[in-house]
Amino acid sequence: MSRVLVIAEVADGVFNDISLQCLAAARALAGPEGEVEAMLVGASVRPHAARLAAGGADYVTVVDDARLATYTTEPWLAAARAQLAAAPAAAVLLPATTIGNDLGPALAASLGAASVVDADGVAIEDGRPVAWRVGFDRKVRTTWAPEGDRPLVATLRDGAAPMPGPDAARAGTIRTLALDEVLAGGGFLTKVVRRDVAARTVNLRDADVIVAAGAGVGSPEGVDLVRRLAAALGGEVGATRAVVDAGWLSADRQIGQTGATVRPDLYIACGISGAIQHRVGMLDSRTVIAINTDPNAPIFRSAHYRIVGDLKAVIPKLLKLLS
Amino acid sequence: MALTIAVVAREVWDTRDLSGTVLDENGRLRPGALPTRYEPEDLNALEAALRLKDAQGATVTVLSPGEVRQVDVAREALYRGADGAVRIAADPDELDDAALGALLAAAIRKLGSVNLVLVGTAVPDTAGSLLARHLAQALGWPAILWVDAIEETAADRVIARRAIEMGYESVEAPLPALLAIGVALLEDDPRAPRPAKAMLKLKLKKAEVPVWTPAELGIPDPAARCVTRRRRREPVPPRVIETRTVDPENEAELRAMLDSVRKGA
Ligand SMILES: Cc1cc2nc3c(=O)[nH]c(=O)nc-3n(C[C@H](O)[C@H](O)[C@H](O)COP(=O)(O)OP(=O)(O)OC[C@H]3O[C@@H](n4cnc5c(N)ncnc54)[C@H](O)[C@@H]3O)c2cc1C
Repeated sequence: MSRVLVIAEVADGVFNDISLQCLAAARALAGPEGEVEAMLVGASVRPHAARLAAGGADYVTVVDDARLATYTTEPWLAAARAQLAAAPAAAVLLPATTIGNDLGPALAASLGAASVVDADGVAIEDGRPVAWRVGFDRKVRTTWAPEGDRPLVATLRDGAAPMPGPDAARAGTIRTLALDEVLAGGGFLTKVVRRDVAARTVNLRDADVIVAAGAGVGSPEGVDLVRRLAAALGGEVGATRAVVDAGWLSADRQIGQTGATVRPDLYIACGISGAIQHRVGMLDSRTVIAINTDPNAPIFRSAHYRIVGDLKAVIPKLLKLLS
Repeated sequence: MALTIAVVAREVWDTRDLSGTVLDENGRLRPGALPTRYEPEDLNALEAALRLKDAQGATVTVLSPGEVRQVDVAREALYRGADGAVRIAADPDELDDAALGALLAAAIRKLGSVNLVLVGTAVPDTAGSLLARHLAQALGWPAILWVDAIEETAADRVIARRAIEMGYESVEAPLPALLAIGVALLEDDPRAPRPAKAMLKLKLKKAEVPVWTPAELGIPDPAARCVTRRRRREPVPPRVIETRTVDPENEAELRAMLDSVRKGA
């Protein structure tokens, strides 16, 4: 395929490395003859351009402007449209985050392009890009393709493509676009008036052992038990969205569809029901232990060890055995 | 300016915790294999609209694409306090988000004077993309996604708080605007939807819910608006995991488990 564009993500100064998986997927779509373009939009994002080149981008376009400190749809959309007007692409890939899943569909809708969000993979079929997602409680894989010769805009979930090893020798061509040129009179319709965003303190993807807390922990004291078990095993504490929404653990510990995708050697699920949105984030763990009072909890279907019981009784026993 | 709100209400397959196979030999959904439900975030969107109505007065009209399968979501919305409901005669499973967005946008224009559209952010299993963005584009309106609270409305603007990966941000948009509402997991979550009211059920059981056809909306062939085509559905083989039950009262079993996982780790 001729050209594939990756819109990389830097949010609050942190480079999202699913952008690199997007580059690997883009390289596979583009083929040896094709070109991979990457785009970086934001404030002080220029230093990350080299990473994109090392990750496989032939060209990196940077729109770096102090007015772009936080994501809003309109300027990012204008930048992507300007890039595609200058260098049309057969496919556009973005990480499936709140930024990517906002921008990707907005871009597709504004171009009349095909749109798939939360894709688990992309490929070429009959010379055209396609994207698929596993859904229906992980029972069905649905593949979508653009109608006719429209481009495909897809957002990729963590793990949809391998992480490319950086090749420092690759330089790529880095160019810049001025925001005012991109906006061409169009403005910022929406504006962020307040923010309450925490800095990331852990990257659960690197942990070998994760002990995860679900709503069944019942209270911050329950979370403490989970913390002690994690410490005893030299692991990290993970959480379900229910626990994060309750304010008992921070959002960087959330595992699942809207959190991290993890593949530790050992995953201990404490008081977690096993909703599909959680399971997609931990299914590939090597060994799973689940502790739940409900003998029919769906989490047990993904567990190698099933412990039916109250975590407040079971965890202290495990701690005793570990001490 | 009083708020005139349109809320999208989708009836979706309930794919939580499915047992048995979902597809037939031809890769089609087996009829009867799946229950349906009111799309949970659409229900949160309805709740957000009804709260605005309670707090400051507003007219709330629900737009429901598709024929009723098992749950009459349009009527469910009326039972919760929506002022009106309209069905759109088109099968959402056979349309992409661009076509569905175009139909809904046409219906919103036909309602007239709508200045706020609310819809769930979630992407149903049958959908390729995020409807809210396609609908906003078809309307030519700004949108805020993953909203969990509507903080302020004024004559010409709205401020909504949205959940992003590591926290929250409050975003202001000029009206008319579209807000896509997110998940509500906690029971005391303000987005948690109210139940249907018995009194309204009695009163509105037989109420007529008008049906608008695509032709009436000026889009006689909505399929021609599709830009994303579903190529196929394939069964995913289940993961076979050998599960061992460990008796928490049995210390030897617990110890054996810990020994084997720590050796493996
Ligand atoms: C669009 C969307 C995205 C989502 N993204 C995510 C995501 O990224 N990550 C995520 O986790 N969720 C996500 N969710 C939410 C998900 O659907 C579930 O609601 C959530 O995972 C449930 O969390 P839980 O298992 O902690 O709580 P519950 O489902 O409430 O389960 C609690 C469990 O604890 C057990 N229990 C109770 N007391 C005890 C005890 N004393 N000892 C042992 N067990 C006990 C109960 O039997 C129950 O099984 C998402 C939902 C949506 C709609």
